[in-house]
Amino acid sequence: MASSSSSSSTQVKKITLKAADGKHFEVEEPVAMEMETVKSFFVGNEDAMKDMVVPLLNVSSEHMPAILDFYRNHSEFRKRTPPPPAEEVKAFNEAFLENKSDEQLMEMIMAANFLNTKELLNFLTEAAANRIKNKSVEYVRAFFGIENDFTPEEEARIRAENEWAFDGLDED
Amino acid sequence: MSGVLTLPEGCIAVVISFTTPRDACRLACVSTIFKSAADSDIVWDRFLPSDYLSAISDYVSSPTSSLLSKKELYLRACNNPLLINEGKLSFWLDKLSGKKCYMISAKELMIFWVDIPQYWKWISLPEARFPAVARLKVVCWFEIVGKINISLLSPVTTYVAYLVFKSTHDFYGFDNNQVEATVGLAGCNGQNRTVYFHPNQQGIVPGDEHGLFPKTRRDGWLESELGEFFYGDTDEEGILSMTILEIRSGNWKKGLVIQGIEIRPKNR
Repeated sequence: MASSSSSSSTQVKKITLKAADGKHFEVEEPVAMEMETVKSFFVGNEDAMKDMVVPLLNVSSEHMPAILDFYRNHSEFRKRTPPPPAEEVKAFNEAFLENKSDEQLMEMIMAANFLNTKELLNFLTEAAANRIKNKSVEYVRAFFGIENDFTPEEEARIRAENEWAFDGLDED
Repeated sequence: MSGVLTLPEGCIAVVISFTTPRDACRLACVSTIFKSAADSDIVWDRFLPSDYLSAISDYVSSPTSSLLSKKELYLRACNNPLLINEGKLSFWLDKLSGKKCYMISAKELMIFWVDIPQYWKWISLPEARFPAVARLKVVCWFEIVGKINISLLSPVTTYVAYLVFKSTHDFYGFDNNQVEATVGLAGCNGQNRTVYFHPNQQGIVPGDEHGLFPKTRRDGWLESELGEFFYGDTDEEGILSMTILEIRSGNWKKGLVIQGIEIRPKNR
């Protein structure tokens, strides 16, 4: 999709973000400012904006293009009048998730959490929720890469307390 | 997946809040961090409808409800129905889904001839949720209508309506008569079906796949399924109307106690 800024007469200011592995990404200012972590970097320091490189210590460059793609599209959806049909937004969101493995989804949630970017975080956590709904405890442990740290007695007790939640689960 | 990558508890809580109450209870068994997230108020706040919280503050003036965790409050909302609207409506949450459920008391139903003492009688039963239930002495014209504003329902939910009743020792006249039930928005053509009040289905029609025969509830009352209604969007407005009618046979009918009409989400 063409950048929404390409035809505008005024030059859109760009901000450089540096991923954890050192790779640089040039990002239009309004897109970068969707991320609270980037925004707070400049608070009280607005003049310095132009030349600053914002280090993002916890975000791997692997996921940056997808994250930026999400925000470029969603900020364009928000600006458009009349607003885009719900199907168009849904189609974009579904395509966005389509090829993401569970592990990639987890990593992107970590990134969105670090970037403190609510819209993406909600979108990704809801996607993760949809993947674990009605699944067994063992499936969810594998999904999140989480070790069972209960003692057998503790686990038995908690399972017994929540017995009603275990009927008729989907197959793993 | 590498063990290094673990989501912070706050993120796990947000993920769980997008599941269902039943999922959240199961996810508490994953690990200690999941248990802490799955029991947190962030999660259960989302499962408690705001009108339940306002109903609880209007009708329950006990300070203990503010001391409970949101999960405890949720479980209380499922297990202990509240009486609202001057005691004419019973209100609780479906444990599996957190969706709103209601029972309209007999006093709030339109029951044909209910105020004529030779036909119907108001009695009170210890096992009823409401102070008064309607005892059918004898009628030919058997008609009950229940109405509820659909704005009270949870959106994007298929609801099923049930007549909640008991049959008494003098139960008579319904045996071979089909009762007609209609469920739908008032002013529209509703969904029609036939129901039986006969508690013993043996020898009438084999099987009960369509919910035509009454089932015994956990509280000891019987319920007959009247029909379904899908409530989609909160933009929709209207009154859901449920009608139960048996006037075709012209028979005398007797021996029922009506507690109310219950509306709860259809579970798979």
